[in-house]
Amino acid sequence: MPDTPFEPRIVGFLCNWCSYAGANLAGTSRIRYEPNIRIIRVPCSGRVDPLFVARAFQEGADGVMVLGCHPGDCHYRDGNYYARRRFNLMHGFLDFLGIDERRLKIDWVSAAEGKRFAQVVSQFTDQVRDLGPATVRQPAVLGG
Amino acid sequence: MIEQICSIAEQILADKTVDVVIGYEAGTRGAVRPAFIRSAAEAGRLVWNDACTHNLANYVREKHVSPKKGAPPAKVGVILKACDARALNVLLRDNQAPRADLYLIGVACQGMRQNSGFAGRDLGDLELRCQDCAERVPAGCDVVVGEAPAAGVAPASAIARELDRLAALSPAERQAFWDAEFARCLRCYACRQACPACYCVECTAEQLEPSWIGVAIRTPEKRFFHTMRAYHLAGRCAGCDECARVCPVGVRLDLLNAWFRREIEGTYGYRAGQDATTPAPLASFVPSESLDL
Repeated sequence: MPDTPFEPRIVGFLCNWCSYAGANLAGTSRIRYEPNIRIIRVPCSGRVDPLFVARAFQEGADGVMVLGCHPGDCHYRDGNYYARRRFNLMHGFLDFLGIDERRLKIDWVSAAEGKRFAQVVSQFTDQVRDLGPATVRQPAVLGG
Repeated sequence: MIEQICSIAEQILADKTVDVVIGYEAGTRGAVRPAFIRSAAEAGRLVWNDACTHNLANYVREKHVSPKKGAPPAKVGVILKACDARALNVLLRDNQAPRADLYLIGVACQGMRQNSGFAGRDLGDLELRCQDCAERVPAGCDVVVGEAPAAGVAPASAIARELDRLAALSPAERQAFWDAEFARCLRCYACRQACPACYCVECTAEQLEPSWIGVAIRTPEKRFFHTMRAYHLAGRCAGCDECARVCPVGVRLDLLNAWFRREIEGTYGYRAGQDATTPAPLASFVPSESLDL
């Protein structure tokens, strides 16, 4: 085990209406991308509470991606505008808490951009692989 | 000054403008504590000095309740410093109490002193938030008592300097700093209880479905709690620093909140509590804006 090279664990929150379909397109088009991403389908990037990101890091993620529709293309008209403000702030806050802000990626990927999806995911995976393991990896003991 | 405060309280209780006045009274051993005055005869109990640090806006929601079923909610008079008035603006903006049911008694503030009200402790400097306070006279009140103090010393910016110091560190060093802070946390939630803006009926910290935070009192749970608490106050924290004051182990919660305030003022030019109408930055958007992601 100690000789296994580091492979980052990446959690991706993907909007059902664009990025998730974009991921599907990448798959059906047989485009190769880094397999480190664990995809969680959400109805909209506006559904992604910044605490999801905090929780993912606490539970041992090395990187977190939030992918939504391009601004102006939201299925619910304005969910991604809210997401944009939230994650603009969350980037800096993670950094302030000592989690490298390069471990969080927000981007816009449409349903037609299968190729771009593969690029964005692979680039981010490489970036996190270079950063090494996140040091906040301390899974919680869940109650309730 | 205190005569004026007492006479205003006496008058608004006598003519039934309000049912209760929230103010400060002398506590035990030289301390000052919040007081809830319900009759004009009791108004003389009120005090005003440099130990009146509590943010009384926190009690407004609790006192703005119906005395009995079907009756209209009690009208509330409350004594506010400049920082408290900003916190109250946040409550008004969030529809937590109608302005018409409140009577706001603003007090021009000289700043509160560290250790004031604690017998046997040396009187310290002004509290950190007061050192940097540029407002002093509360805005939007029905009546303001006292005059703006003459321009004092230049702000010491102790909080801003600490933010700068932390920003200059490496992420790993910052994480070590916060882990040391959070390690002391007892999860007593006093910070939440003291916060006027923390008014959720069910707090994320205690929610069971889903269970956001584990029950263990360990650094990961505490880190998550503080991340959650600070983020929920983003754009809503008016900077009264009650959370930091009531923390029994001195976790630097004021720094977390100050970071958000500085960031949001820089990006959106918005200060929480600046008025009772502007929507919170995270509850609004401008389609054409461009933000770093």
